[in-house]
Amino acid sequence: MALFGSLFCRLVLGFVIVFLFLPILIVLTVSFSSSAVFAFPPPGFSLRWYASLANADSMLQAVWLSTQIAALSTAISLVLGTLCAIAITRGMIPGAKVVATFMASPLMLPGLVLGIAFLQAARDFGLRDTYSTLLIAHVVITMPFIMRTVLASLSLFDFAMVDAARMLGRSYPAALWTVLVPNILPGFVSGGLFAFIASFDNYPVSIFLVDVRTKTLPIQLLNQVEMSPDPTVAAISALLILGTIAALIVCDRLVGLKRMASI
Amino acid sequence: MSQQATALPPEAEAQHEPGYLAVSNVTKRFGAATVLDSLSLSVGRAEFVSLLGPSGCGKTTLLRLIAGLLAPDQGAIEVGGRDLTRVAAHRRNIGVVFQNYALFPHLTVAENIAYGLRAKGVPKAEQAKKVADALGLVRMEAFADRAVTALSGGQQQRIAVARAVVVEPSLLLLDEPFSALDRKLRETMQIELRHILRDLGITSIFVTHDQDEALVMSDRIAVMNEGRIEHLGTPSEVYARPKSLYTMEFVGQSSRIGGVVTGGRDGLVEIDTPFGLIRAPGHFLSGSKVVVGVRPEAIAAGEGPAGEYNTVRGTVAEVIYFGSRTLLHFRTAQDDDRLHVELNRLPDTVSPGVEMTVRWRVDDSRVFPAPAGDDR
Ligand SMILES: Nc1ncnc2c1ncn2[C@@H]1O[C@H](COP(=O)(O)OP(=O)(O)O)[C@@H](O)[C@H]1O
Ligand SMILES: [Mg+2]
Repeated sequence: MALFGSLFCRLVLGFVIVFLFLPILIVLTVSFSSSAVFAFPPPGFSLRWYASLANADSMLQAVWLSTQIAALSTAISLVLGTLCAIAITRGMIPGAKVVATFMASPLMLPGLVLGIAFLQAARDFGLRDTYSTLLIAHVVITMPFIMRTVLASLSLFDFAMVDAARMLGRSYPAALWTVLVPNILPGFVSGGLFAFIASFDNYPVSIFLVDVRTKTLPIQLLNQVEMSPDPTVAAISALLILGTIAALIVCDRLVGLKRMASI
Repeated sequence: MSQQATALPPEAEAQHEPGYLAVSNVTKRFGAATVLDSLSLSVGRAEFVSLLGPSGCGKTTLLRLIAGLLAPDQGAIEVGGRDLTRVAAHRRNIGVVFQNYALFPHLTVAENIAYGLRAKGVPKAEQAKKVADALGLVRMEAFADRAVTALSGGQQQRIAVARAVVVEPSLLLLDEPFSALDRKLRETMQIELRHILRDLGITSIFVTHDQDEALVMSDRIAVMNEGRIEHLGTPSEVYARPKSLYTMEFVGQSSRIGGVVTGGRDGLVEIDTPFGLIRAPGHFLSGSKVVVGVRPEAIAAGEGPAGEYNTVRGTVAEVIYFGSRTLLHFRTAQDDDRLHVELNRLPDTVSPGVEMTVRWRVDDSRVFPAPAGDDR
């Protein structure tokens, strides 16, 4: 009976893994298709869709824009979020728990709501520039991911170390940089990775804020699928998967995936 | 323990000119709570002073104020004639050994020790030499390249001391550095640390709630109670001539006998207690409610000459055997006044319920006003 149980569980696990990987496999396969339509299984092998990427200017622009927005918003959130997290854990702020929950709340709101709110707010404040509006919105989107991991890291961090660094001659900011940052690096890396991805593939908030010339990648991809559904999008997706794997390897080298996962 | 305290070299006091560290009328409040109340403390160069008091009396707060990690609401802090009250912590050149050591886990042992030298911009070659010297000082040369997380509690402790002293601070603060160690190790570390700091001639403030530790290690002890210093004196002064009932009871064992003053002359008062009439040195008005304190080891079995001794009779309530000594508790019928007697050699006949006569020198009795709310 126990044997049967464990066999059954393994079977389910196997199915779930296949279920998770199948879409990825299909996208990878289609990206090498020789057919001009999204056909699975593909009739033949070719690299033409990767070659066609070189001419897909609007697509490449979208990739570049999304990368910028994701990187900048993650960086801003890392700095601001860490300082906020220190204030929340150390500053003896009244209602620190409430503040922490509030900073994580964009994660629990439907993106649509945030998108409409940002659109309205940008109009009201007279903010015309699409790029800045997107960036501000994405800082809000990425902040919860940073807050969550950094707060978790800080709860395990002994702040006496910062005091020790100060007594050894480092100013408070220098003490944070040389002692706190290296010790909560796994939290930074895993929070930063999640934040980057959350910004990079955000659709529901960005859709309200983009204009004709400034489109983020998810929006551009969807446009493309609607207008000319050829495997170019599959090629782009395949490259993104490759990029993600590369990022994970770098993170693993940097701090170890185990340490990241434990935050 | 008292024996160890009196064994301190008597010249230990004389060589410290006072006022190297001067804490003047420092007050610290957290919200409505006044944690330190106009506290003053003066410590001489190269002196080793313990702050001794129960948990929550403000020892760590005082240490953090001196370090500059907290700002006082009132008062001033000077070291070596320099007013540090408004100086940032990292410019004070004060070393701290924290309660849980606060070593940097991302650095090796040697890098931990070099941290302060790097912060101060000491050249690389000189850093290496100083780190090696500091490791030698705490006898940890073999551990330079280890991870600090791989060290035992006692070893981490040594590294924390080495890291703090390698930058040659003008003052060293230690916050209960032995509280995480087991008793055996603690006793060796106490003596070793004392030797290291004495050899370096470094002025040290040492926080502890362990009276034995304070007695063994200190040049002077500041007994703290609720944000005030009750008694600042050498270990033998604090133990043998405590200025307050609080100090008497916090440092070492003592008996406490309540009574009422019935008269006095020649610097002695006569007190009516449940154990009978007792005499003690002091000046109190007749009718004052007082408490007499006596150290258990000052009491001996049998009668003594009436002029010099207090002699009382009581019923043994409890016999506690420690091997080298035995503790007897006497109780009176009316209330829970207790007499603790410590004897090295026990008369054969002693057992609970037996009546016994004991004596102690009048000079060994200390009288204090009865604490408010104490109606004995
Ligand atoms: N940052 C703080 N905020 C509020 N109260 C504090 C703070 N630090 C210490 N206290 C209070 O001050 C008192 C003394 O604390 P502390 O100096 O740590 O005592 P000790 O070190 O003697 O055990 C305690 O009652 C403690 O609760
Ligand atoms: Mg403390």
